[in-house]
Amino acid sequence: MHSVTGVDPHLDIESYDPSADLMVLNLGPQHPSTHGVFRVKLYLDGEIIIKAVPYAGYLHRGVEKLCEELTFVQVIPIVDKNDYVSPMMNEQAIAMACEAMLGIEVPPRALYLRTIFAELQRLASHLLWLGTFGMDLGGALGGGASLFMYCFRERETVLGLFEEVTGCRFHYNTHAVGGNRHDITPRFTQDTKATLEVIEKRIDEYVEIFSSNGIYRDRTWGIGVLDGELASSLGITGPLARASGVDHDLRRDAPYHIYGELEVNVFTESAGDCFARTLVRLNEMRESIRIVREIIDSVPEGPILGMKPGKSPGHIKIDAGQGYSCLESPRGELGTYVIGGGNSRGASAYRLKIRSPSLHAASCIPYLFPGHTVSDAVAILGTLDPIMGEVDR
Amino acid sequence: MTRDEAQERFVALLQERFGVSEIPEGNYPLVDVAHHFELARALRDEFGYRIYSFVVASHYPAQLDAKNDNAVIDTEHYEVATGLRCIGAPAHLASWRVRVELDQSVPTLFPLFAGADWQEREQYDLVGVRFADHPDLRRLMMPEDWEGHPLRKDYAIETACPPWR
Repeated sequence: MHSVTGVDPHLDIESYDPSADLMVLNLGPQHPSTHGVFRVKLYLDGEIIIKAVPYAGYLHRGVEKLCEELTFVQVIPIVDKNDYVSPMMNEQAIAMACEAMLGIEVPPRALYLRTIFAELQRLASHLLWLGTFGMDLGGALGGGASLFMYCFRERETVLGLFEEVTGCRFHYNTHAVGGNRHDITPRFTQDTKATLEVIEKRIDEYVEIFSSNGIYRDRTWGIGVLDGELASSLGITGPLARASGVDHDLRRDAPYHIYGELEVNVFTESAGDCFARTLVRLNEMRESIRIVREIIDSVPEGPILGMKPGKSPGHIKIDAGQGYSCLESPRGELGTYVIGGGNSRGASAYRLKIRSPSLHAASCIPYLFPGHTVSDAVAILGTLDPIMGEVDR
Repeated sequence: MTRDEAQERFVALLQERFGVSEIPEGNYPLVDVAHHFELARALRDEFGYRIYSFVVASHYPAQLDAKNDNAVIDTEHYEVATGLRCIGAPAHLASWRVRVELDQSVPTLFPLFAGADWQEREQYDLVGVRFADHPDLRRLMMPEDWEGHPLRKDYAIETACPPWR
């Protein structure tokens, strides 16, 4: 049993009350609320969960092994598929790790672009979370699917902006070690402003949907309370930890890109329940809009790639050393640990580990589920927002 | 406190109490595995490193000197790097490595950090390094009946059709 919580994730089911009428229920692997392929084995006493054992790995594609074989240039489009809801962040994490280890300076224009892309991606990612969460709660939000449709409508406009720059709605491959590959146009700037205008109004409408809905509050207030101390101990960061009162955001505390020059407001809630997690994410969406608005007109002129573009896919070489660098993705600390000196004299990594925030988030399931009903488990899993591509990699 | 000051404090702690003589350039300090748990405890309780950031295990096959009658340059071993982070600015990351031989195990950090449960399971599953006193050392990613550890350097290199390339 862990000291900071009363729940034992390794509860011996044999020693549990022998007179109880126990039932084992598999939630997943094919279940819409698991947002991917993920199984949680639930031990139920009546309707109450007494133990939850998650099984990951259904989406394990061996990305880390693949990264040992491919060169650093080839790795970037591969990691796009990890957190497939915010591919921009994955690319940036790999590019930042290589740049930090090689001491490559990224030109200011590329840093501005990265910041704009990151914040737009955060907005798109949270919109997708909000829509699918509405679906998880079923009828609580006006038929469930309506909020899903609204959010996907808005998210589509953000993906349209990315398409304008990169040519892809998804899996952009727009970041390179040393900078970016695609430059923005004046039309992108205009379209971004217009899109943000619309989304900002719509977010207010969503808040209205939540705050005026009694069923929604009943299903989220006091459900799945995550202790702040336990959250840190599990390595949980991002909106999940901030909803539990952990005042920590890498954008503010360990600035990268151009966040050091900006004032980033970090929103925390103390309750740590599903409702608090919703509030934190809604506030973060507004904050992302504010940050993009603040910098979109002041993008400096200049090059977007800080080094000579290489002709071969093996031109980035890290021959020795180890390094870790990270950024704040919509789910928390997304990091890359690189051990240099792999194949072809360092053109690929000897070992590359992707520190995914979703894996840490999913690891709190055994602590949060016990004591709740199965329907609450679905609500909790929804607010954890784990992306299975990133959990399993 | 700036991040540089936090790093200096971390280095001083390693040198004074955990017998680390040199801090390598472009790499994380190598700590004796006997100090692994105590170092994590000191960082958590005395210096406020509360966030369990990462654990990365890697496998190194034996290095033999082909010119010199296959004399052993380095034995087969694992390296396990751990990172802890403090909450709020400057969000300093304290990271160190430990080296263990093939038959040795690394003490688990689960009594200090609940997150070590899954993270160490993943590293055991993929790399094969064992964590002593871990409460539930099962595979996390691969099926339970899977043979071998995929991220080892000697994994599946003798098959007729290697898995990649």
